[in-house]
Amino acid sequence: MYELTGVTKLYRKGRRTVPAVKDLQLVIGDGEWLAVQGRTGHGKTTLLNLLGGLDRPTHGTVELAGTALGALGESQLTGLRAESIGFIFQTFNLVPTLSAAENVEAALIPLGIGRASRRSRVATALESVGLADRAGHLPTELSGGQQQRVAIARALVKEPKVVLADEPTGNLDEDTRDDIVGLLEQLWRERGLTLVLVTHDSGIARRAQRVGVMEGGRLIITQYGG
Amino acid sequence: MFFVTYLRRELRRRMRQAIFIALGLALGVGLVVTVAAASAGVKKAQSGVLSALYGVGTDVTVTGSAPGPPKPGSTSISDQSSQSYGLQQGQNGQPEICTSRGQGYPNKCVSAAGKTLDELTASLSGISEAKVAQTARLPGVEAAAGGISLTDNTTTFGQSSNSLPQASSFTLDGVDTGKSSLGPLSSALLISGHSFTAAESDSDSAVVDSGYATSKDLKVGSVLAIDGVKFTVIGIVSQAQATSPPDVYVPLAAAQAMSLYAGDLKGDVTTIYVSASSATQITAVGKEIARLLPGATVTTASSLASQVTGSVSSAARLANDLGRWLAVLVLLAAFAMACLLTMAAVTRRVAEFGTLKAIGWRTRRIVAQVLGESAAMGIAGAALGVGLGFAGAAIVTAVAPKLSAIVGGNTAPQASLPAGVHGAPIGSLGAVAPHTVPVPWHPSVTIGVIALAVVLAVAGGLLAGSLAAWRIARLRPADALSRVA
Repeated sequence: MYELTGVTKLYRKGRRTVPAVKDLQLVIGDGEWLAVQGRTGHGKTTLLNLLGGLDRPTHGTVELAGTALGALGESQLTGLRAESIGFIFQTFNLVPTLSAAENVEAALIPLGIGRASRRSRVATALESVGLADRAGHLPTELSGGQQQRVAIARALVKEPKVVLADEPTGNLDEDTRDDIVGLLEQLWRERGLTLVLVTHDSGIARRAQRVGVMEGGRLIITQYGG
Repeated sequence: MFFVTYLRRELRRRMRQAIFIALGLALGVGLVVTVAAASAGVKKAQSGVLSALYGVGTDVTVTGSAPGPPKPGSTSISDQSSQSYGLQQGQNGQPEICTSRGQGYPNKCVSAAGKTLDELTASLSGISEAKVAQTARLPGVEAAAGGISLTDNTTTFGQSSNSLPQASSFTLDGVDTGKSSLGPLSSALLISGHSFTAAESDSDSAVVDSGYATSKDLKVGSVLAIDGVKFTVIGIVSQAQATSPPDVYVPLAAAQAMSLYAGDLKGDVTTIYVSASSATQITAVGKEIARLLPGATVTTASSLASQVTGSVSSAARLANDLGRWLAVLVLLAAFAMACLLTMAAVTRRVAEFGTLKAIGWRTRRIVAQVLGESAAMGIAGAALGVGLGFAGAAIVTAVAPKLSAIVGGNTAPQASLPAGVHGAPIGSLGAVAPHTVPVPWHPSVTIGVIALAVVLAVAGGLLAGSLAAWRIARLRPADALSRVA
């Protein structure tokens, strides 16, 4: 469970200090799917970075399962990300020189898992996203949708508690977008993940349990249920 | 191995850049290898000249001062009966050999016509043999050996008073047979027979230089008469052509026993050969010896080297100065290029490293990956560089001019030179005039040079990788990912 208390994140732009997130109070339950919408520059990605321990709040605390992320050292945060948090990016962020399987395997490297076990889990992960036959392909040999499936497999292969998706369908066409959202929804249900998904697409957001809108650094919950 | 797979793929993706970096490092390293090889070759040639002059293993040479000039109109000589003679101009203007019968008695003179005079001279005054032992006990001295350098001048007078006398000479060294690793014989190459053993210290045996042996048709077993003593030739040796080695070597005791003009050398030596316990001790040892023997000349290899001039010296300066700086400049340029290209690659891969950090890769793991890539390029550069170095050395061998050394004839003869020591004919007092000797040389690519090349190239790669690593370590994943967004 995430618990954000009075979280503020300020950035310096020259001499000015710009608040990206302001005094955020938020609880995200285990296994909950929260969709976050909002206009560009209103703090969606900053919120995701704070949740993922990629950034630290200027004020306030972000707790994951009772652990204050801000109190952890860089090494502990990295370890936490390696074990408990899966990231999915809009631009897929696959390593271009590694094959689909190797990209997925990269997520298991920090966990110190043996090679045979890694291979087995990678195969299972790729199968779960429907890409078992594309394991040896490089990202450039895959379509955008396939690349995002690889990215989803990379996020899920370590069996995280939390998946943070930053506009995962932003670079995909409509049909592919539905496939990917369907896949994410299926995996969320099957695995009981906590899913925080940033999207501009209201159609996708409506499928979440809760929808929040970031506006001027503040989160306004607009929809419950889903 | 994920590390290797990732490394290999990354290098393959950036193959052109990787090749460029490796080639840059290779060029720098190749130049370093070539210069180092040329420098080593020249130094080897120089040390060949020096060791021939000086004796392998000898760090310091101590020589006595020059004896006073011979008295005008008279020359002491020796013949086979080892009696003391004088050479005078007779009343008829013809040379006469006169026997000295002691103070107060007139000399007994006979015509020199048809006779051969054998005259032994020492161009250096004696140092008490006891000083050799004292020198050996000085701090920093590993061993000391005494030696005597003599010149045997032979003058043959014709039967006719009109014929000019025929003069010839050979040089003679008395060596300490118990210390063969020091002194003029230490650098000699045995051609036939054997060299002296410690047991032959009192024997009438001689070792002869191959050049002299050829000219006098001497072989092992031949008999050579010097100062009335018949020496049996036990060995023929050859010395480097860069010097004027003595023609004949005899045991020190035999040389000391020979009768000489300008006083005898019984119980004396003219030269002390000293080896220091370490290279760093040489200067201190030289000073200690100078304190012990204030009137003697103390010469170290470095002071001797400064007196060897000619193209070998110029080549050494060229290799050491211009070559070294050129290599350093090229190497620095290669390092700078490797650093810039690697930093550019890191800039392009910021999102990749940010993603890896986001999915839980520790900074040190990413740094290790980048350093691995840099080290691989460095190793490739080293391999190519060594190859280029060998090629450079081969080119230098093919196009390099023949070197020569001017030994002796220093424009400002100094008392610090071991003048008159056979094999070290430097200075105005030496019996041998300044002369130019050819110095064979070729670049020498040694294991040390290859190791240096590998270390430099890998260091260059790692330096570039370290800068990249520094950048990666400071990279915040949120910032890195925002670059993509």
